[in-house]
Amino acid sequence: MAAESKYERLSEAIIEGDGGKTLAAIEEALQGGMAPGEVIEKGLTPGMKEVGERFARYEIYLPEMMMAGEAWEQAMKVLEPKLLAAGGEKKKAGRVVIGTVSGDVHSIGKNIVAAMLKMNGFEVFDIGIDVASSVFVTRAEEVGADIIAASALMSTTMPQQRDIIEHLEARGVRDKYTFLVGGGSTSQEWADSIGADGYGRTAGDAAALALKVMAGKS
Amino acid sequence: MLSFAAVVDRALSGPICTERDFELGIFVPNLRRVVEKYDIKYDPQNPVPADDDLADRVWEAGLEFLTETGVYCTDTERRILFTREEIEGALAFGPRGNTFGEGKDAKVMPRRRPEDETPPWCSVGPTSSPLSSEQIYLSIVKAHAENPLGNSITIPCLTMVDGRQIVAGSPLGIEGAIRAVLLTREAMRRAGRPGMPIVNGVTTAARSQEHIAAHRFGLRQSDAMEIGTTHEMKIDFDSLNKIAFSLAAGSLVFAENGVILGGLAGGPAGVAVVTAAYNPVDILVLRGAVQHPFPTHFDLGVTSTRDTIWPRSLANQAITRNSSLPVVNVGYSGAGPMTKMLYYEHSAWVIASVVSGGSIEVGASARGTTLDYTSPIEPLLASEVAHAVAGMSRPEANKIINVLLAKYEDNLRNPPAGQRYQECFDVASGTPTAECAALYREVKQEMADEFGLKFNPVSPYA
Repeated sequence: MAAESKYERLSEAIIEGDGGKTLAAIEEALQGGMAPGEVIEKGLTPGMKEVGERFARYEIYLPEMMMAGEAWEQAMKVLEPKLLAAGGEKKKAGRVVIGTVSGDVHSIGKNIVAAMLKMNGFEVFDIGIDVASSVFVTRAEEVGADIIAASALMSTTMPQQRDIIEHLEARGVRDKYTFLVGGGSTSQEWADSIGADGYGRTAGDAAALALKVMAGKS
Repeated sequence: MLSFAAVVDRALSGPICTERDFELGIFVPNLRRVVEKYDIKYDPQNPVPADDDLADRVWEAGLEFLTETGVYCTDTERRILFTREEIEGALAFGPRGNTFGEGKDAKVMPRRRPEDETPPWCSVGPTSSPLSSEQIYLSIVKAHAENPLGNSITIPCLTMVDGRQIVAGSPLGIEGAIRAVLLTREAMRRAGRPGMPIVNGVTTAARSQEHIAAHRFGLRQSDAMEIGTTHEMKIDFDSLNKIAFSLAAGSLVFAENGVILGGLAGGPAGVAVVTAAYNPVDILVLRGAVQHPFPTHFDLGVTSTRDTIWPRSLANQAITRNSSLPVVNVGYSGAGPMTKMLYYEHSAWVIASVVSGGSIEVGASARGTTLDYTSPIEPLLASEVAHAVAGMSRPEANKIINVLLAKYEDNLRNPPAGQRYQECFDVASGTPTAECAALYREVKQEMADEFGLKFNPVSPYA
């Protein structure tokens, strides 16, 4: 089988969000002599990129994004140990702790942002909905996050985003993390007023912002 | 009909599964299967379809999907499952003919069907929009209550009490919810309509204890508590607690289902099916007197896009042809007050709702999220439009909506902000500025000339 068609098989399996098919394509590629890094960069990554682009064009939606993200994670469990054993490096865009603030049970926007971040190579730690401010900080400390992202849909839950900043400051770790906010009632003006490091109006904005943040750190 | 206690039993003892497995292992494959089986296909050229067979297929798909999927309780991580017979029983014995409001403002909520000549129920108000002060709150709610076509008030969201920012779940949340109800009652009294019902008690409240506190301070049995599912086909203890309270208090419930286009339901076809499937859920679980659906775009945060108007219309048709539970559709438009685009957006989703069997709840502009960017004058024209199109055929409505969409859909990503209430209205009197009234008259004339709409001569600004 030509290398291009092997790459295509890997990409298609990711685009379909089919974990089993992805693992089978990886196995075949490795047995054919393809290096783990090549599998990721030329096979799986273009598939993830395509998923993100289709989502931006409204051709696919959250379920397809989530399934592609799960297939990617299954693939990485197999490939990363092989990559490290071969002397390669794990390539992550960065680590993000994401959740919806205390008192707010809206999940879809947060889930879409989490999926978009995964599409863009981030390691995402989704801590769910109605999350206490201190938990954002504790989890970020536990996993060594680069970014904390907090969603709030309601005008009466937005103040919790400021509360997270105050918890970061109280623990003396504010400067360790880039703190991003989003959600229906939030705005750039709100983000500026509470001292957040960035605001994403859409999921695409949030992912682009996160990439920009990490590019600035490297 | 299955009792609420039985529903709670199932939330406590139903089959256990993780939330991930419910979403990707049950919800998504079940939905995809019925969308394909019943051949539900999005038709962007016809935002208001006129195919009764398609509407009935959406209904059947919704019931089959619900029977196979159930409702997920996030607190117990269990599925609340219903048999087809239980669903049919709920539909056969579900609520109908409820009266909302008191005194001369009391009125029976109509059940409407597609192309029905029955005038739609019009709920007016800032619809959850955040307001900066009690003075603006009183002024804007009074102005909405003076809308002669308004049957009920949809209250805004108060963000401050006594100079303090309201934080949901804190004592300020309790005070905010109470204050919102008291202010609304006072505003309606000033408008001479003290019996007008509130149908979204209580927007300022996020948690059940806040709803319950607000009920103690002015919500009546003839008002409605607004209680919703979470995305998608999920419920938590907090919402179940609100329902338990509403049943004990004898309150009416507006059962809210804002299915997200682009979320777990996927595209327009899935959104239509899930919205229809919510109808029996609203009877069985939320114990609703009204279904309150509003398919919303995941990216733009509005209900005025072509791909959310289509499932709104189709789901309405599916529901109102097959269920007696009245439908009142709410909408969120992107443009702000004092823009032609806001009038066009409101009109598009309002017409789609009304000719498809629904009533309306109108008032949210600037996505319902920008402080003070809401006014009563665009909802006034929207309610006049709603009355003007009662009885209109779906194909005729489809033509009008396509024209309206052409006027604004390219601007939905960056809609004009317009003006804040205090810029386009005189806050003290609650009346529009001369420019604001002039724009209203200009667009109203445009609607009459371009679409042949005949308006009831009730407007205070005609």
